[in-house]
Amino acid sequence: MKRSTQVAAPLLAAAALALTTGCRKPEMQRCVDENNRVVADKFCASQPNQPQQRPDGHGGFIFIPMLYHYYYGGWGGFGLGSAVGGGSLTPNPARSYINSSGRTLRGGFGRSFSEGGSHFSGHAGGAGE
Amino acid sequence: MQRIPLTPREDWQQKVESAGLTFHTLENGDPYWDESAAYQFTATEIDTLEAAGKTLQQMCLAAAQHIIDEKRYAELDIPAEAIPAIEWAWNNEPPALYGRFDLSWAGAESGHAPKLLEYNADTPTSLLEAAVIQWRWLEEVGSHLPTHTSSRPEAGGRSGETPVSSSSAKPDQFNSIHEKLIAKWKDIDPFLSKPIYFAALDNPEDQLTVTYLRDTAEQAGLPTLQMYMEEIGWNDEQQAFLDPNEDHMFSIFKLYPWEAMLQEEFGPHAIDTYQSTRWIEPIWKMLLSNKGILPILWQLYPNHELLLPSFFEQPGAPCQAASSLTWGDSTPPNNLTSYVRKPLMSREGANITLVRDGVTIATTTGPYNGPQIDQALAPEAVFNERYPILGLWMIDQDCCGLGIRESSGPITDNLSSFVPHYFR
Repeated sequence: MKRSTQVAAPLLAAAALALTTGCRKPEMQRCVDENNRVVADKFCASQPNQPQQRPDGHGGFIFIPMLYHYYYGGWGGFGLGSAVGGGSLTPNPARSYINSSGRTLRGGFGRSFSEGGSHFSGHAGGAGE
Repeated sequence: MQRIPLTPREDWQQKVESAGLTFHTLENGDPYWDESAAYQFTATEIDTLEAAGKTLQQMCLAAAQHIIDEKRYAELDIPAEAIPAIEWAWNNEPPALYGRFDLSWAGAESGHAPKLLEYNADTPTSLLEAAVIQWRWLEEVGSHLPTHTSSRPEAGGRSGETPVSSSSAKPDQFNSIHEKLIAKWKDIDPFLSKPIYFAALDNPEDQLTVTYLRDTAEQAGLPTLQMYMEEIGWNDEQQAFLDPNEDHMFSIFKLYPWEAMLQEEFGPHAIDTYQSTRWIEPIWKMLLSNKGILPILWQLYPNHELLLPSFFEQPGAPCQAASSLTWGDSTPPNNLTSYVRKPLMSREGANITLVRDGVTIATTTGPYNGPQIDQALAPEAVFNERYPILGLWMIDQDCCGLGIRESSGPITDNLSSFVPHYFR
C-alpha cells in the first residue's frame, strides 16, 4: 500500500490552533541562592517575603540580605546546584508557575537545547532533525 | 524525477495552519512549507525508493548487530555507561516506532542509485509535513497538477516540452505514513503501560510533531498524555520518573536525542531504570542515528550501490586530502578529495565541511565537536539551483512514505524548505 485512504489528525489541528492563539506553558519557580544556583525549596519557604532589618546600635538599621529567593521563569532546570538565568525575581501575574514539588526533581532533561545549554542545536530551537 | 513549478494556493498559510502546520514560514520570511514547486516521480522511481528504504533498513540492523558483537562503541563515541542498556534493549526488543533515511538522488534518468546520506533513527521531524500536510495538499490540488513528459526540464534536459494538463493518470503520493503509524501503535500496544507520555521541548515544531504522533496513538486506542521534557520528574525515593501529577511514567515517547539525555542530570537515572521504562525510541537507536554508522556500513557493504564511501576521520588528518576517490571508487580509505566531513553527533547541517577536488567549498558553524567522519560527495542532484534531500520514512521495518527537504545550497540546514511530491 503506497497511499493513505484518509488522514485525520484532530489533536494536531487543535494543538496548532492553541499555539496560534497564544496558549503558554507554566514556567519554573525555583529557589536560588545569591549566586543564582538552585537550592531546595525549603530554604525559600522558611524565609520572610521581604528583606529584614535590624538596629545597628547607632539609631539606624542594617538590612539583612536575603540569602535565598524565588526565581521565576528563564532557562535552566530544577537540578540542585544548577545555574539559572533569563528570568525574574518577581512573578509575572499573566503567567503560571510550577515548582519542583518537594522530593521530585524536575528539569533534569531538556537543558542541552535551552538557552543555557551549549551542546546541541536544532531546527527552530527544537531537538528533532 | 522532475521539479515542477506551481502556483501556490492563494490561502495556503491558513490551510496548512488549520491542518496543524503553524511553522510554515521561516524567520527570514521565506516559506518553510513551499508549494511553489513539487517533485514529480514515476511509479517505477517510487518503487526504487521503497526498495532502497527496505534494503537500507536491513543493512542498518545488520550493522547494529555488528557494532554490538564487535564492541565498536568507542568509535561512535557512545559512553560506556550506556552500553548495558543498549545491549539489553537490542536483545529484548522493546518497542521502536519510526525513523527517516535521508538520501540524495536525481531520479532514474541520472543513471545512479539513491545514496544514503544519514539515518535519523532517533528523533526525526518533518513528520506531520510528510504525513498530513502534503497529503492534504495533494487531495486539493492533485486533479490540477500538470504532467511533464520530459525529464528534468529545469535542469536543462529535453527543454522545450511544455507542461500539459492533467492526464487520465491521477497523481498519487508515496505516503501511507498515517495508517502505518496507527497500525504500529496497535502492534506495540501490549508491550506498553498506559498512558503513553509524549515529551518534547517547548517549540512549535517539536510540540506539533509529538501531538501528531499522539494523535495516531489515540486513534489506535492508546490513552496518551503530553508534557514538556523539562517537566519529567525524578523521585529518588521511588526511583522512578514522575509526571507533573506525581504519577509514575512507564511508557515515554521522547522527541529528544539519547546522546543529549545521557549528558543531562537525569541521564544516569534513565540508564539505571531502563529495563522498567519503555522509552521510544529505544536506546539502541543511538547506534543508527550516529554518523559513525556510515563508515561501518561501508566496511560491511563495500561498494554497495546505495552507499557512499565513508570513513572515520583519521586523527590529525587535514580536511583537504590529496588523491582522487569519489563515490563508487574502491581505492583505500583516506584518499577522498570530494567529500563531506560531519561530526558523529551533528544535527541540522551544523559543523559540516564540504570539500570538492581538495578545496573547501562550504562550511557551517555550530556547537558540535569531537570525532568526525568523511563521506564522499553524492552524484549531483540539483533542480533549478535547488538541492533536494529525499527523506524516506520507516515505520518499524516498513518504508512507507517520502518527504522532501530542499535547500539553496548543498548542505541541508534549518533554513531548508519542505516541498511536496507526487507520482504518476
